[in-house]
Amino acid sequence: MILVMLRVMALNVIRDRGALAMAFLLPPVIFMIFAAIFLGISGDEMRLRVALGVAEQTAQTKRLEAALRGEDTLRLLPGRENSAEAVASLVAAGEADVGLFVAGDLREAQQPLRVFVDPGKAVAGAMLSGQVQRVLGHSLPEIGLGRTAPLVESLVGGFTPGQAAQLSAALDAIAEGETAEAADGELVGIETVGAPSGSSVIVTYYAGAIAILFLLFSGMQGAATLIEERHAGILDRLAVGPSGTDVVVLGKFLCLILQGVLQVSLIFLIAALVYGVSVVTRLGPWILTTLAAAAAAAGLGLAVASACTTKQQAQTISTFVVLVCSAIGGSMVPRFMMPPWMQDIGWYTPNAWAIEAYHGALWRSDALTALLPQLAWLTTMGLGGVLLALFVSRLRLRLS
Amino acid sequence: MTSTIPPPLVVEGLYVRYGDRPVLEGLDLTLAPGDIYGLLGPNGAGKTTLIRTICGRVRPHNGSIRIAGERGRSSLRHIGLVPQELALYPYLSVRENLEVFGRLSGLSATATEGAISWAGQATGIASRLGDRVDILSGGLKRRVNIAAAILHRPALLILDEPTVGVALDARNGVHDVVVQLSHSGMGILLATHDLDQADALCTRVGFLRHGVISPQGEPRRLVEEAFRQQKQIVLELRQPASAAQAGVLSKAGFTPTNGGYTWMMMAPLGDQSVERLEPALARLGVETREIRLREPGLESLFVELSREAEGVA
Repeated sequence: MILVMLRVMALNVIRDRGALAMAFLLPPVIFMIFAAIFLGISGDEMRLRVALGVAEQTAQTKRLEAALRGEDTLRLLPGRENSAEAVASLVAAGEADVGLFVAGDLREAQQPLRVFVDPGKAVAGAMLSGQVQRVLGHSLPEIGLGRTAPLVESLVGGFTPGQAAQLSAALDAIAEGETAEAADGELVGIETVGAPSGSSVIVTYYAGAIAILFLLFSGMQGAATLIEERHAGILDRLAVGPSGTDVVVLGKFLCLILQGVLQVSLIFLIAALVYGVSVVTRLGPWILTTLAAAAAAAGLGLAVASACTTKQQAQTISTFVVLVCSAIGGSMVPRFMMPPWMQDIGWYTPNAWAIEAYHGALWRSDALTALLPQLAWLTTMGLGGVLLALFVSRLRLRLS
Repeated sequence: MTSTIPPPLVVEGLYVRYGDRPVLEGLDLTLAPGDIYGLLGPNGAGKTTLIRTICGRVRPHNGSIRIAGERGRSSLRHIGLVPQELALYPYLSVRENLEVFGRLSGLSATATEGAISWAGQATGIASRLGDRVDILSGGLKRRVNIAAAILHRPALLILDEPTVGVALDARNGVHDVVVQLSHSGMGILLATHDLDQADALCTRVGFLRHGVISPQGEPRRLVEEAFRQQKQIVLELRQPASAAQAGVLSKAGFTPTNGGYTWMMMAPLGDQSVERLEPALARLGVETREIRLREPGLESLFVELSREAEGVA
């Protein structure tokens, strides 16, 4: 008896080609995505975007820049800033994951290298600091030796003029290519960027990341009622009415946006009350971002539902779309930790734009004009999805 | 005196093809106000295609369709469609469902209120407006399904198998609703496989075969014309006939239905052969439950036409 039921279920799975493909396609694809992400986190593929600034160009800073630009693990932005503020603002704007400013003479100044990091990407600061010291030790070893020489001098009671001259000549010789042991010093200081706030940037980040994740889930689920209405003959009935089927799609679009705004409001209510995320002071940008993100999720959901023939198909494809978008778009792991190619693909997901928009609205306190690209992309995704759903729904009435 | 009310439906020379396959080939059909027209035909004959074409969902290759005197997209507002499925929201009450479909059929909120009251009376569901649809019986759901289609008082009401899976008494209730609506002047196009339903309900019926409707007319007249001066002999067997028995019955002119349990043939009025039938069947070893002589009906005509379609002499 049990084997009979096993056979029935197995035949059902085998004969539903869509479900079959998804059942065996989804696991390896999701595995590959997460493998790529976590390979990146382990350092093999993670390549930080670095904004570089130099207060005063010297032979040493040029060599340092050349060495950094030659590093596979870093992606230096093109160009060179000339103030710490410019570097910090690039990091704060999210154009670079981390910034490096060469503030003074590398041999003598106190902390001549300043690393600027977004608190949401604290690990990037530590990574860059380590990378810079490694590069210095490898490519500019005289810097470390030069910085430790005064300490050695004080310990031995002072160098004789001959020793001082010999040391200087040796450092110059090393600078010209001879190798020496690496040495550490108080070379690098790490500073955070962004508006001072009582809240955790991580909470702000994940409030946005979880918000778009749930918007996608509820958008897909809500839009699937389109398939039920199609099967129940409701769309057939409405097709002869003056409104046609467009009102069904558009009505669902608006309802899903409203439902999404309410869901996201609850997430950010907790974020504001429990974790002090500054939603109230940034209410306008937050509402616009939420509306745009909800529209994107609703449009995507309706596009999937209109394209699917059965609810089972819609369920499988929805799961695939939500998981892949959330993984690549940064809802599960911050995108700066991903390999560059995956970061590029991430811009095709609503998650990346929504997370970026929430981060800009609530953490960086961006002006509305600065948020326009993100809002425009999300709105375009939403409208594109709903237009596709309208088109496919009309087509289905003709073909069914 | 000529009526000023345009016919609810006039289809002239309708041609529809799916790719290279012709489905409708010069089909003509006219419904007068108050007509209940039964559209009959075997599966795949094109009934659904005809309904979809009338509803503007299939573009004909040739021919014209006028609904209440109008053509094109604007004419569709004169149609009320009752799909075969229960096209209702199960978690909404009857009233909420009717409000939704009233507004979507183009009525204002006030007009919808009035329409719900009228449609509730016309379909006999006025006392159940507050109930959720999912708790209603099958028959009541079918009535609500009709009520949702008539709120805008269409000139043409199309019902696609309106009583599939409904108990006999509930089916009769739906029939009463359809007759009442026809009295209000609606033209009703009823696509059905239920020949008893068509016989009892329709003022006219038409058989859709080979892409055209032929024959068509009043059910009684069609049957009389087809079986003038003939009666139908019906054999109800206790067991399906064996291959040998079936061969003999077929040779004698009987046609099997109902899985071989029922055999029918037409016989001239006054034919005395029926009296000799019982002993002949007994000799053949056929156990009969009932042998009866009856007036032929639409079912007889349908069987006859199907035989012709299959090329049976």
